Amino acid sequence: MSNLRTPLKILPGCIYWFPTAFVLSYYFYNLKIISGRSMQPTLNPDSSSWRDVGLFNCYAIHTKLDFNRGDIVALCSPEDSNRVLVKRIIALPEDRVKTLPPYSEPEVVVPQGHAWVEGDEPFHSDDSNRFGPVSLALIESRLVAVVWPPSRFGHLSRPSQVERDTSTPSENSAYRMAMAELERQRWRSARVTSNQTSRTG
Amino acid sequence: VVNIACATHLFLQYVGTVSLMSGPSMLPTLAVNGEIVVEDRISLRLNPSSLARGDLVVVRSPINPTAIVCKRVIGLPGDVVCVDPTGQTSPSTEHVLVPKGHIWICGDNLPYSRDSRLYGPVPMALIRSRLFARVSCSPLFLLRSSEVSVF
Repeated sequence: MSNLRTPLKILPGCIYWFPTAFVLSYYFYNLKIISGRSMQPTLNPDSSSWRDVGLFNCYAIHTKLDFNRGDIVALCSPEDSNRVLVKRIIALPEDRVKTLPPYSEPEVVVPQGHAWVEGDEPFHSDDSNRFGPVSLALIESRLVAVVWPPSRFGHLSRPSQVERDTSTPSENSAYRMAMAELERQRWRSARVTSNQTSRTG
Repeated sequence: VVNIACATHLFLQYVGTVSLMSGPSMLPTLAVNGEIVVEDRISLRLNPSSLARGDLVVVRSPINPTAIVCKRVIGLPGDVVCVDPTGQTSPSTEHVLVPKGHIWICGDNLPYSRDSRLYGPVPMALIRSRLFARVSCSPLFLLRSSEVSVF
């Protein structure tokens, strides 16, 4: 009987503190399991047998409204209100974006209060190229770091720093992957022309 | 104390709350200077298909992430809506098919309302709550029974 008593003793404590824990995870930071291939190779690469678990920051979005081009964000899907998508913000209001198939027009000006989001894997991604610009109010939180699996733990790489580090030998696979990431980032920013004073994504 | 504050906050977010609506876009239903209304958040979460045409909903504005708007649901997903029968904002024969997961909202005071005629169908994920009742009480006589009229 004493084995059953201890969980029962903790349970009222858990129920008591549940509202605080819920509010903290809703307004500040929470963890989400990311599934799907639309953000490969940045998230959930084929080399990893686990689905990535990411730490998301809701405070920056809810309270500070800090949207930047190049952020990976979690947003409510405009087509299905129960689904949460993880995509990258490519363009902010009043930017011109060159779109990818299957979008019907080759160039789009993002309207006021909206953003253009895309997955890193353009073929397998359910993103703005299908449903157009999404309202900024749908965006819920921003990815800060990947916390699982442990081999992929850490903040997402910043490729611009790798290029300047000339001491890395060029045969190193980490260097090649970082250069590939830098190439992809350049390709993404090349498709966006911004009318505002530029903030690089 | 923190826990009670969080529990209260959760109740107000997820079950229902009382709030103040102001603005000219819903005349004559809601007054310009402010009306106290009761929002009902839980019934749309538990039963999203209970949303009907003609309901008053509170929605987060698609063009301004910090603003909230209160409008009436005109079209549900799959409906074909005539954008503007009066022909002022768009040709009077223009019709739009409301896509899956979106609704078409419209204010009651058409000349002074920015609604789906401007920004198109609104994703249902932006809906915050449905208006349940209006509370009107005379400010000087708070002890008297106040009128609650249900929408």
